Formats: sequence, C-alpha cells, structure tokens
Amino acid sequence: MTVGDGPLAGFAVGSEGNQAVLSVRGDVDILTASSFAACFEEVIAKGRPSVVLDLAGMDFVGTAGLAIIASAVRRLGASGDHLTIRAPSAIVVRFLEIMGLEDRYRLEQPRSGSTSLGPEQTVAVSEEHEATTRRVQGLRRVTAVPADDDVVDGALRLVVALARATVGGADGVSVSLRRHGLLGTVAASDQTILDMDANQYATGEGPCVDASVTGHWFHVESLDHELRWPAFTPRAKKLGINAILSTPLLAQNQPVGALNIYSRTPAAFRAKDQELASVFATEASAILTDAGAGVSDEQLASRYQQALRTREIIALAQGMVMERDGVGQDDAYAILRRTSQHSDQRLRDRAEDIVASAGRHDPNLAAGR
Amino acid sequence: MAEPPADQLDAYRGDAGLSHGELWFRYFELGGMSTALEVEAFLYGALEPTRHDHDVIAHALNERFSELGGNHPVPYVEDSEDA
Repeated sequence: MTVGDGPLAGFAVGSEGNQAVLSVRGDVDILTASSFAACFEEVIAKGRPSVVLDLAGMDFVGTAGLAIIASAVRRLGASGDHLTIRAPSAIVVRFLEIMGLEDRYRLEQPRSGSTSLGPEQTVAVSEEHEATTRRVQGLRRVTAVPADDDVVDGALRLVVALARATVGGADGVSVSLRRHGLLGTVAASDQTILDMDANQYATGEGPCVDASVTGHWFHVESLDHELRWPAFTPRAKKLGINAILSTPLLAQNQPVGALNIYSRTPAAFRAKDQELASVFATEASAILTDAGAGVSDEQLASRYQQALRTREIIALAQGMVMERDGVGQDDAYAILRRTSQHSDQRLRDRAEDIVASAGRHDPNLAAGR
Repeated sequence: MAEPPADQLDAYRGDAGLSHGELWFRYFELGGMSTALEVEAFLYGALEPTRHDHDVIAHALNERFSELGGNHPVPYVEDSEDA
C-alpha cells in the first residue's frame, strides 16, 4: 500500500514476515518530511517490535528527514524494539554516528535486485535531481506549507549537534528563536548553555539577543574586556564562559533568532570557525524559511513598509547626487553605492545621511519631497 | 573586462544563505525595478540584467555578507570597466 506519494517522494508501507517495512523513494526534504514522519509512525505502530526502514530508493535526504530518522532510532532503541535500516546513504550513517546512535539500529546492505544504481545512472539521476530542485524552488516559495514545530525543532537540534561537533573551540551550542514574540531556546547542547541563553533573555541583553533583533552577527573574543552588556557579562563569567559567537537566523529575510556558540577559552574562535558558524546559521535559516516560521503577517507588512521607505530615501539621495554632480540616474546610484561601500555603511544609512545633511539647507528635502 | 557570468551571482546567493525571494526583496528595497521573476531569470542566466540591475543585486548580496561578518566579495560591473 502506498500511503504518501507525490512527484518528489513516495513512501510505501508493507511487510516482510512479521516485520513492518517502510520503503522510501525520492527526496525526503522539508516538503515531504511530514508525510515521511506520518508513514514512519504508522509503520512503527504496526511493526513493533521489529521495523525495517528501506532507504534503497531514497535520492536525497535533508536535515528535517535526518532529524526524523534520528528521533525514531532513539525512541525505538530506548523501548528495546529493533530497527533495521536497509541501504542507508553515507550521510544517514554519519549523522546517526554524530548523534551517538550508531549502536541503536541494525544496518543492512541492499539486497540483490533492489534499486541501487550503477555509477552512470547515478550521474543522470543527480543531474535530473538538480533540475528538479531548481524547478521546485519556485513552487516551494509559493506553497510555503508551514511544517509543524516538532519537525523544525528536530532539524534545529541536529544543526546544534553538528555545529557542536565541527566548530573548533565550541564548548556548547544553542539555537534561540522568537516565537509568539518571545525569544526562547529551541535546542541547546547542555544545561550551562541553556543557562547562558536564559541569562540573556532575563537581562534583555547579550550577543544572542542583539543578533536576534538586529540580524547582525556578534563575536565576543573574551568577556574579560566586554563592555557592551554590563548586566549579562558577569552572569556569563560566573558560568565559566569566555568567548561567544552569535550568528543571526533569518526567516523570509527577517531576523528571528540566533545560532550561539560558546567557549570557555578566550579567543577560541578563528576565522574558519566563524565561516562554519555562518554555514550552520544559513542551513538553520533555510529550514526556518521553508517552514514559514517565526514571521507573522504584521511583521511582514511592517517589513514591506520599511522597504518602501528605504526605496524612497535612496531615490531621494540619488536625485540629489544627479543634481549635484550633473550625472544620470544610474551613475548617481553607482556613486552612492561606492561611497556606501567605502565608508562601510549600508546604502540606506548613507542615503539618509545625504538627505539629512542637505535638509539642513533645504527643509523641503528633509521632509522627503 | 568581461562581465561576471550570471550563474556566479546565483552561487554568491547560495553562499549568502538567501532564497531567490529574499534576495529579490533586498534588491527591491535598494531601489531595484525588476520583478521577482525577472531577477530569478537573471540569476539563472535566462535574461541578461542591465549593468545597473546587476550591481544592485551585487550590492544586496554584499550587504548580506557584511551582516554575516564578511567583506564585500561580489564584484560590480560598473567598477570593473576600463573607463
């Protein structure tokens, strides 16, 4: 019986002897993850104590899919049931290893006659996959089916575990997310890290709070010399943390949280670690954006209003440069853009300065006319 | 100097962690006049952006890289000419 099916993935629930089998075909990504989870639950309920997950036909697995597999392995292992994973890809094996679950399931190599592909076919499939992915991206944006919070949280916990395992100098990692207007910790590697986040929410300051609000990253090399957060800093030191790297998470271009990496060692994070942090924050942001998380309609509306205001200010500054320098529209824009780049100021801020300084001589300009 | 190929812009977009929709929004905010569909076509190389459009997209990406703590890696067409 095929339970969940679509152009991208299919999940077939069947049985072999007294075992229940879930066979996966195609892509398990954020679009198909919830059907995957539902079918997996059905198989587990039906097949206990012996369940087989057949991944021989799976072309792609994203973070959400990995989170579902990891959570099922953990649950079945804890209740003493047997989970066999047939023909898992290297990434599935590696993820379960990182999560410390490598001895909680039985690995079975593909049976002869199963759908494993030769090298040439694999290339063709992966090219096809890429083309499909590109076509689907447009669709994904339009449909934007919000995934439920459990799937998103599972995926974020995985990001935390991976960041903890791969960022040099990291003693702990967390993800903070704004939900229903309140900043909270969705995933953290241990209690100290939870306390670090909680101290920032309580004092309303710290790199995690600032990154979540401004959408900019914050790097604290050492709290010994930190002056920006007088209430939070002594609390953090008491917990033994010295260096912090907070990278913003965006959903639909709006800051909604932060990936926080903590270390007991001063200056623990190097340029390479900052790059890695940004890679993980990007992954987490993509998960949140795909899930349509964190951003309310009012926030989106206010973001559009702000964008329109920014356009007005830039257009105004552009007009002033055209008049001042006697150049065309595009040249004036290029001049603005270059000065913004060289002064390391955002284009909007640069334009605002120009408008404000001219406004001191001409009140009409200051009023935005 | 030759213009950087369009798919390079799309690679930078991936590195910056912006979806096509998000990048278009930032482009729009900075004064861009093309539609989201057109911007996506620029990135895939299906449409040729004007030099101005190319540079507004490049700047939207560079401002995102700044927010992430990086420099401005995306080159501008207007700055690469032998003028």
